Amino acid sequence: MSKKLLYIFLLAWATVALLLPSCTPGSCFEETNAYVKATFYLKSSGKADAPDSLTLYGIGRDTSTIYSKSRNLSQALIPLDASTEGCGFVMKINGVYDTISFTYATYLQMLSKDCGYTFYHTIDIPVYTTNIIDTVTIVKSSITTLSEENIRIYY
Amino acid sequence: MKRIYVYIISLIAILISIPGISQKSSEIPVDTVEIPLKIRSALEISGPVLYFTDKNILNLEGFVTVDLDEKKSLYLGGGYSDYSYSQYNYSFLAKGSFYKAGVDFNLLRPEMTEGKYWAGGGLHYGLSRFTSETPYLKHDNYWGSVSTSLTEQKNWCHFLEISGGFKAEVFRNFSIGWLISVRKLIYTGAAKELRPIFYPGYGEGGKTLTFGLNYYISFNIPFKKIKVFIMPEPVEESEEDEENQGSNNNTQIGRQGIGN
Repeated sequence: MSKKLLYIFLLAWATVALLLPSCTPGSCFEETNAYVKATFYLKSSGKADAPDSLTLYGIGRDTSTIYSKSRNLSQALIPLDASTEGCGFVMKINGVYDTISFTYATYLQMLSKDCGYTFYHTIDIPVYTTNIIDTVTIVKSSITTLSEENIRIYY
Repeated sequence: MKRIYVYIISLIAILISIPGISQKSSEIPVDTVEIPLKIRSALEISGPVLYFTDKNILNLEGFVTVDLDEKKSLYLGGGYSDYSYSQYNYSFLAKGSFYKAGVDFNLLRPEMTEGKYWAGGGLHYGLSRFTSETPYLKHDNYWGSVSTSLTEQKNWCHFLEISGGFKAEVFRNFSIGWLISVRKLIYTGAAKELRPIFYPGYGEGGKTLTFGLNYYISFNIPFKKIKVFIMPEPVEESEEDEENQGSNNNTQIGRQGIGN
């Protein structure tokens, strides 16, 4: 009986050895940037409505646009500068220029082993010009990688 | 009255003549087997072996079990892990010691194991004391690249471990074996947003459960012998026997019938 048990054990040992996992580096399939997710609303109707044209770039970075005459964009993803406590953007909606500035607190967030770290933010009430923008309201002040509305821009 | 005495005496006589009822419980045949209780001192061998192929993780681990009886043993384990990970946007280091305590259960029957084999499972509570740091991290977005680091932090981590496997004594007082473990993190002192990606003794931090496979060699020191009672298994009658018995009974009834 004992020898039979030993044979079973040795067979199991060999089987388990085959199960030894091979370590291969993983890949990151998550969103790694925390954007301010801005949705556009018509001030007249109060309903969500994508502008006919949207151009967006950081103040002082007009050579590098985030959106350039983008059409039917229902939600704009606005990246914040993690190295400072505030940053501003030029926003051209339907050919009319406005600026919008954010101040925020920034903190580090570990996403996963494969994706590493990112920066999350908590924004204050933004400051903006009102050439075409009517009001900007905060829906959720925590800026994370989750797909959730942060601000509403009425124009 | 006389008839009642005759009835009682007859009843006693019948009861005595039936073997199953007449035997006292102490007279039921019981076997015993002598089992040596042992202290097992084990070293995990896959950790050092894997370190030669992957210098990013060193895991040194061992345990001591003390047999409480033929089924249960007290488990005390511990070890040390040194982990490093690096990819394009960050690097991470964690090192520290861990301790585990619990109970192991041998599911094999004593007469099968003879004190040499163990197949079963264990429930252990784990505690890890470690340091972790991120010497380098980089994040890129529209505004450019931000590089920073996280200084060394000391943390605790508590976890539960359920393990199962097999151990066999291949030479006198020398065993080899393997254990598969499932671990559940129950508490960590690290901040929620900066959870380490690796906890010594537990494994990767981002997972709800972690799995481990360990190979052990162990040296066993017998310290006591106990006698374990084994109930004999009831002998099952084969269908042929039953059929034969049945035909014999029929014959007897037939003869009785003829006799009557």
